Amino acid sequence: MATVRIAKLNKSYGDAAILRDIDLSVDDGEFVVLVGPSGCGKSTLLRMIAGLDGVTSGDIFIGERRVNDLEPAHRKIAMVFQSYALYPHMNVKKNMTFGLKFSGMAQPEMDRRVAEAARMLRLEPLLERRPRDLSGGQRQRVAIGRAIVREPDVFLFDEPLSNLDAALRVSTRVEIAKLHRLLGATMIYVTHDQIEAMTLADRIVVMNHGLIAQVGKPLDLYYHPANLFVAGFIGSPAMNFFDASVAAKNATAVTISGPGVAAFDAAVKNFSGPVGAKIKIGVRPEHLLAEGGSGFKIAGAVELVERLGETSYAHVRATPEVALIAEIRGRDAPNAGDPIALSAHERDLHLFDERGERIAID
Amino acid sequence: MPRARLIGLMLLFLGPAVAVYTLFSIYPLLATISLSTYSTTDTGDHVFVGLANFTTLLTDEVWSKPFWNAFFNNFLLFCVHMVVQNPIGIALAGLLSLPALRFRATYRTLIFLPTMLSVVIIGFAWNLILSPLWGVAEGLLKAIGLGSWFAPWLGLPSTALVTLSLISVWQFIGIPMMLIYAALLNIPEELVDAARVDGLGQFRIFTHIKLPLILPTIGMVSILTFVGNFNAFDLIYAVKGALAGPNFASDILGTYFYRTFFGYQLQVGSPTMGATVATVMFLIILAGVCVYLFLVQRRMLRYTF
Repeated sequence: MATVRIAKLNKSYGDAAILRDIDLSVDDGEFVVLVGPSGCGKSTLLRMIAGLDGVTSGDIFIGERRVNDLEPAHRKIAMVFQSYALYPHMNVKKNMTFGLKFSGMAQPEMDRRVAEAARMLRLEPLLERRPRDLSGGQRQRVAIGRAIVREPDVFLFDEPLSNLDAALRVSTRVEIAKLHRLLGATMIYVTHDQIEAMTLADRIVVMNHGLIAQVGKPLDLYYHPANLFVAGFIGSPAMNFFDASVAAKNATAVTISGPGVAAFDAAVKNFSGPVGAKIKIGVRPEHLLAEGGSGFKIAGAVELVERLGETSYAHVRATPEVALIAEIRGRDAPNAGDPIALSAHERDLHLFDERGERIAID
Repeated sequence: MPRARLIGLMLLFLGPAVAVYTLFSIYPLLATISLSTYSTTDTGDHVFVGLANFTTLLTDEVWSKPFWNAFFNNFLLFCVHMVVQNPIGIALAGLLSLPALRFRATYRTLIFLPTMLSVVIIGFAWNLILSPLWGVAEGLLKAIGLGSWFAPWLGLPSTALVTLSLISVWQFIGIPMMLIYAALLNIPEELVDAARVDGLGQFRIFTHIKLPLILPTIGMVSILTFVGNFNAFDLIYAVKGALAGPNFASDILGTYFYRTFFGYQLQVGSPTMGATVATVMFLIILAGVCVYLFLVQRRMLRYTF
């Protein structure tokens, strides 16, 4: 069990900066998910914590130790890889004990650890089999077992579910969550799948272009995204954004209007921009209402309806330039070609200034 | 698809390859085997003699002594390649695949370069280098104080064959290196990462993870070496001529066959005895390949990653 602390961490290959001034603290026993689009640096950050990639500048602490210059094996970490990375020429048991053997552990202790991990992950009947004789889900359980027997301070997961099919992904996700509760170990988990991030994480770190865009609890990110990137990244289908500008302003509120969007007042905190400043309005598809909203209103024509059963997604065009997606619940979804009027409660609106930073609403 | 059309398509796609392969490989092979069961009479007629040529080759001392000499020399040539060429090739491939290595492509090209040169050029160059009269080898050894080590290696019966084997190793080291390097590149990075997390250094990763995974490739390299060595001819011929001197010390099956079939100096060529030697060479290689295919390769597991 240990904390992980990252201070002013940089990584670059030649001139290309992969990570820039990353600061992050992970509490003891916390489950932190690094999420972001591909190329955002999340895997690199994980590999640097593991010691597989070198540090350009900055520090990584695991517990009280600065581990920058330690070999991966000495950092008391265990890593689970996307491709499982099981040794194909060894059976399950040998796969799990291979690293322990090199650390000079005695046989009885290895046997105890393997037995315990095998019981936890229901691997007992598979111990003598080779990886090629296992299914994808079983392989991933073995990979997790190999991590558990190391009894590490920190578990590192690098997109562990992305090679599994949809059904296994859900069940393995649940298993990882249970495992975290059972072991209480610190876990850092990289994924590009926001559902994994939302369901597993105590805290999510959203990354973009080598920077941390926001760190927070899953629902904080959903309800209070700090910037346009996080707002667009978390949630599916993605949040709708509308260009608008400040039409009028007084001490406690601003009037906002934009193409296709009827003017409305919003009570904003500490907005310093002038009248005429460009802003963006963000509304999630699930927060657009056919009736009963207040403030934000938009009208248009339905172009396409995707029916998923209980919910339908209506693709709506308000003006030739302004399009949006609205989630419609229930049986009576509109048809393509129908006119539609949508609105949203003020509490479900997100406003962003010209730099893409959140403008807080009262 | 109608049956006639299917047959037509099969003929179209398979026909050319089957025709070429039959004409240039299967037919000559069968014709050679058939020829080995004939003998030429004084009048020039071919008469069927069954396996008499083989009996002569293996029991008549005039034929059998040089045959077994060539066979054991050939075996030694193969052993030198297995003991020197392939381990060094594996080691070079291992070095080439190290992540920290710089100038990788340069090394790869340089080491592979001799393979692309003609054997005649290689043979000629080494003949000059090792010549006790004007070769640079003696001078180079003297320059580093090892002048007394020098001997006319190509000219001594005790060292000629090993020297020629090492020249061949020097030339062809690039082939096992490339094949094994390609196999090493096939091993996923994450497997190496997992081994690093498990506490292995690069050397142990090579011996414990990579080497077991490329065993099938090493097996294939070995059998290619075997086939290549028992078919070898050109280097010996280029350096030592068909007499494979000194005193047949570097005679191998290829040169022995050449003298038998075409004749050389005082020896009259005999197509039928030549075909017999060629058939025996074919059977030796066939036996070696069968041992590999049925006893070795079946026990090896191929891994898909």
